[in-house]
Amino acid sequence: MTATEPRAAVEEPQPTPRRVRTTVLAWVTSTDHKRIGLLTLGTAVVLMIAIGALALTMRAQLAQPQLDVLSPDRYNQFFTIHGSGMIYLVMTPFAIGLGLYLVPLQIGAPNVAAPRTTMLGYWLYLGGAVTMLSGFATSSGAADHGWYAYPPLAGTRFTPGPGVDLWIAGVALAGLGMLLMAATVLWTALVKRTRGMTLLRMPVFSWSVVATNLMCIGAFPSLLVAMGILAAGRIEPDLFTQNAWNIGYQHVFWFFGHPVVYVMFFPFVGAVAEVLAVFGARRYFGYRITVVSLLAFAALSMSVWGHHMFSTGQAENDYYSLTSILLLVPAGLEYFGFLATLLGGRLSFPTPMLFAVAFVPQFLIGGLTGIMIATPAVDYQVTDSYFIVGHWHYTLAAGSLFGFFAGFYYWFPKATGLQLRERMGKAHFWFWLVGTNATFLPMFWLGLHGMPRRMASYLPQDGFGTANLIATLGSGFLAVGTVIFLVDLVVSVRRPRRAPDDPWGGFTLEWATSSPPPPQNFDPAHPVPPIRSYAPLLDLRPDLGGGRGRR
Amino acid sequence: MDYRRVFDHVFGLQLWIAGGVFVVVAGLLLGALVFNRARRRDKLPFAAAEHNAIEIAFAVFLGGAAAFLVWLSLSNNHRLDYGDTLAVAQQSGLPAGQQPVRVDVTAFQWCWSAAYPGSTTTVSGSCATPADRPVIVVPQGRPVEFAITSRDVAHAFWIPDLALKRDAYPDHVNTVLMTFPETGQWLGRCSEYCGTYHKDMDFFVRAVPPEQYQAFLQTGSLPARAAA
Ligand code: HEM
Ligand SMILES: [Cu+2]
Ligand SMILES: [Cu+2]
Repeated sequence: MTATEPRAAVEEPQPTPRRVRTTVLAWVTSTDHKRIGLLTLGTAVVLMIAIGALALTMRAQLAQPQLDVLSPDRYNQFFTIHGSGMIYLVMTPFAIGLGLYLVPLQIGAPNVAAPRTTMLGYWLYLGGAVTMLSGFATSSGAADHGWYAYPPLAGTRFTPGPGVDLWIAGVALAGLGMLLMAATVLWTALVKRTRGMTLLRMPVFSWSVVATNLMCIGAFPSLLVAMGILAAGRIEPDLFTQNAWNIGYQHVFWFFGHPVVYVMFFPFVGAVAEVLAVFGARRYFGYRITVVSLLAFAALSMSVWGHHMFSTGQAENDYYSLTSILLLVPAGLEYFGFLATLLGGRLSFPTPMLFAVAFVPQFLIGGLTGIMIATPAVDYQVTDSYFIVGHWHYTLAAGSLFGFFAGFYYWFPKATGLQLRERMGKAHFWFWLVGTNATFLPMFWLGLHGMPRRMASYLPQDGFGTANLIATLGSGFLAVGTVIFLVDLVVSVRRPRRAPDDPWGGFTLEWATSSPPPPQNFDPAHPVPPIRSYAPLLDLRPDLGGGRGRR
Repeated sequence: MDYRRVFDHVFGLQLWIAGGVFVVVAGLLLGALVFNRARRRDKLPFAAAEHNAIEIAFAVFLGGAAAFLVWLSLSNNHRLDYGDTLAVAQQSGLPAGQQPVRVDVTAFQWCWSAAYPGSTTTVSGSCATPADRPVIVVPQGRPVEFAITSRDVAHAFWIPDLALKRDAYPDHVNTVLMTFPETGQWLGRCSEYCGTYHKDMDFFVRAVPPEQYQAFLQTGSLPARAAA
């Protein structure tokens, strides 16, 4: 990529077919971290809509007992592709793609290290997504063994058909792609920081990405091994007649599977921290303790996988309970930073701040229920019930996705040079606030009253009807909110309003350059400012007490 | 083992703690939202960006909370014999008539069967409709050891009202011990996803007085007017 390339789409003349073709080509072969990052995020947003639509269909099926919206087999395919899609194809790419876009900017680097490897990562991810979803086009349908594909169910004896094979290939491709991308972004943060950007001056968001990518490096190889075991077992079905392979698969899978749930929320902790500080008009409180907590959290996360296996009777339950409960220490310290920043700020509430503020109590519900299910005596009862479904949707949908939207609304003007419409953003927020809680809160009750997860339907005498109806109505609010979000995007692109370089008064380096940033991120017109702390632009603003904080 | 009582005790306590934490965090948050609006303040409530003494004190407090919760978790897991039947070994020293009764439970796609060692009695069903659910009969008042396995894929044996759950694997037997102090009948479900008709894998466990249980073992069925 050269510096002469056209920049913001809004300034371009009417697109001709030839121009469109060259622009597309420039994007898909780009070695610019911003373009690869936006491709990753854009692909994941599209997939989020498609995979979210699967969830809405499931909610329709469950609205009342014995409905026939989906056959049992279709339902099972839908929850499998919804769960695997959200995890492998949406939230993980959100997490890693956001880091890819922002980390080089935040540390003053001109590009990501190893841009071609990064691009390969995107292509592997896209190929994996297409491969997994193409299962729906086969005669036996998509994979229907759940997002963690336990053998022997996922073996050929019990689930023949190409859907599972495509699923395995898709997960392996997407997983490898994410691993490559995480590795190059980590490398960038370690070696490509600009002058003055010491490790302890990296913004909280960049640190959260470092911790995330460390977990990726530790965990994703294990996913590839797990997919290898599944593939081997599909070639040689006798493998899965042996308990050692079946339970061994679970250990290998969860060695990946637990860290990845933190991959899907750390960058959003970082994003929320940045947003709270900027809209609190103050330096983020407790920077160093937050960095230490993120790293401790990441390290501990590699030791807790067995808490997914308490009821197998084949895991060291006491050990995994111990390590899992210890996670509350770093998590509590992160919350300390959130709350102290809010308590010490002068707050204003544009859309990004609304999502960031809601993240705090909603994710907390996910965390508190997490401690409960880290306790075997409780987990024996609630595991594989709707209580668990409620738990992880509070962490991932009510938590991470709110954090993602906080970041989306916050950084959208930077990435595009365009402003979103505040009123639509706020409407999106309120629909999601109501919808999320109405959808996922009743699930705790359902689980405690005996509803297993992954139930394609239930009977009237089960007594699950009312709570499920509330959940389904709630998901309607989520759908409306999502439509508003999409309309907002279309309107903002079709009737562009230019965003200034620094619309929010941000503290970190990306706000010192133009919107969107030039190909090399900073240029003579937008040089990297002096860096004296993790909030370099705040240091230049005496009106906000800049320069008064430590370091 | 009384899984339900242990569950209620631990979960109840945790619910109080979690509720307290939520109220404190949400309270601080709401306070900040109300009192720290930029419009209401012309300067920051406090300027400091860290306070090591408070941070370390809070970390120590969190460590203490974690220690308590770990203790709560582990000690109750031990009360449940690690959710396993380590205690069976100890109980085999019990006088005849008090020793655990074993019931072999086998899961399959998509229903359950049960066999009683030392007896030709078996229980099975098809689970296709509620009327075809198998009824696993156990004696009231004597420890029952469920030895759970599977013929095909992974399933899980779950009695929600009794808070009893254990996975069923092929090529592996899991055991759980449970005493039924009262007679009665409870609904059981499969809670590990096992394929197309996972949703239908419901069964009943029925505890009957010891004499009826003996009759059941000998004749393969319960007397007509058996206590439900
Ligand atoms: C926002 C709207 C969403 C709705 C209405 C929704 C709804 C559902 C429903 C109905 C199920 C099936 C539960 C069952 O049958 O056991 C499910 C499963 C699942 N969802 Fe969501 N979900 C949403 C968002 C998300 C997000 C953002 C994620 C995470 C990244 C996510 C991850 C999962 C996973 C991992 C499963 C489990 C799939 C499995 O059992 O294999 N969901 N969701
Ligand atoms: Cu986990
Ligand atoms: Cu099942």
